[in-house]
Amino acid sequence: MSSRSQRPVSRRSASTLFYSLALGSGIMRTLSVFFDDFALRTSSLAPLAYGFLSQWVSFIVTISAVVILSLKHTKGGKKRALGYSLDPDFARLRLLPKTPMVYIFLAGFFAGISTLVYYILIGASDAATVLPYGQLVIIYLLIADLLAEKDTPTIIEVQSIISILFGVLLVGATPSGFDIFTLLMVLGPLNISSALVTYYQRKTKRYELLPGLRVDSLNMRVWSLLVLNLVMSGLALPFLQESVWQSMIIGFFPLVGYMIGSSLATFFSIIMYVRALGRGKMAVVNSLSSISVVLGVPITAIGSLLLPGIFGILDPSAFIWSLKLFGIILVLIGVVALEASDIRSIVLIKVKPMTGDLLPALFDIKGVEKAAALAGNHDYLLSIKSRNLTKTRSLILKKIQKIEGISDVETIVVIKEYS
Amino acid sequence: MTEKVHAYILMDIELGMTDEVVKALRLIDEATSVAVTTGGYDIVVLLETTNLEELYDITVNKIHKIPGIRDTQTAVVEKIITV
Repeated sequence: MSSRSQRPVSRRSASTLFYSLALGSGIMRTLSVFFDDFALRTSSLAPLAYGFLSQWVSFIVTISAVVILSLKHTKGGKKRALGYSLDPDFARLRLLPKTPMVYIFLAGFFAGISTLVYYILIGASDAATVLPYGQLVIIYLLIADLLAEKDTPTIIEVQSIISILFGVLLVGATPSGFDIFTLLMVLGPLNISSALVTYYQRKTKRYELLPGLRVDSLNMRVWSLLVLNLVMSGLALPFLQESVWQSMIIGFFPLVGYMIGSSLATFFSIIMYVRALGRGKMAVVNSLSSISVVLGVPITAIGSLLLPGIFGILDPSAFIWSLKLFGIILVLIGVVALEASDIRSIVLIKVKPMTGDLLPALFDIKGVEKAAALAGNHDYLLSIKSRNLTKTRSLILKKIQKIEGISDVETIVVIKEYS
Repeated sequence: MTEKVHAYILMDIELGMTDEVVKALRLIDEATSVAVTTGGYDIVVLLETTNLEELYDITVNKIHKIPGIRDTQTAVVEKIITV
């Protein structure tokens, strides 16, 4: 692992980096879905059989990529792994300590369930209608954020997330209906396990191996993918009959190129997604990365114009395309509103003589992300994040001032931050 | 690996020099965060060093030599809790 002190401050501001990672993850996810979609449409392989093969190819591709990214190179007098540029916490392929490994196992376990359900659903005839409802996972994550974060979502966050959610659902709209069993599969096992995957990925990424050094997303991907594949394969085996194994042997080589393409796109998508999770709320990261559903529209349209029939028969109805357009507008409004409303402040605190340790009490206040006890002119420094200055004052500063022993509070607002 | 020494450097900057100072601060490897602020201070930097001697070296030989910094206040972190 690279020591944090060897890292220069990023060239991009902290918020730009966060939004780039979350949106970039969505873009790479779009690529991965189109590789899978194209492969499934050009072969007669059952989706579950394709998924089984594709997941193990993905593991081989991922571990090979991480081994290559573990190679060291010297740049600017510093010896670093090639993967440093993807995640500054990365140094080499390795086993992680017990606690993050347990989180990774749980993330991989639930990912195995959601991946199996995903491949079963895309084998269903009307799954294309229902799969966008998988984006309802954002609501689950919003509730999980309430439990996991020391901050309550603001009305702007809720409004933006709902705007993104309805936008995504409109983008996925099709004229055909869906059956209740498939919808229950999406709302139940698929979404619940997806939400738990995100929760444990976030817990792993935020685990500090050393002060300032967190678990890297590359090793996280390798080990969680191994668990995912073992769980998914174990659950899928009863569905894979002898004829399916034969079709897999025949269908593997023509599809291996698409599988590698999909695996690489997924690898970069997960790396960016996990890094974004290390910096922001789960519901916000998922909302931003759901841009993949929006990007699917122009890619499908352009692909179908260049190679007719490549993504099936497109619905020519103006009504459906109007709905999709409204959906895109709603998603973009939600993303822009989220990005435009994020205020970070630093609070410097002085205490009266004979005051005891206030650090735990200060850290317990909702909205406080970081609390430091200082030696020098000030006694404590708090880093706080809120959606507006009114909330900073009413919900955070008033609570700080109420703590016994505080003599002076000075607030400075961060305009731009590089980290 | 030994415990690191973290320190916040609170800075007053000369008018019109903020961007240049930020550019110079971002070249310091030990600076893990650089925040441009409004209020009592103009820039807050979080440094991560291996020991107090290195902290002294960075503040005196690197930060104090950046043109545009009017005044600095160094606050060494005794304990830190993060989300």
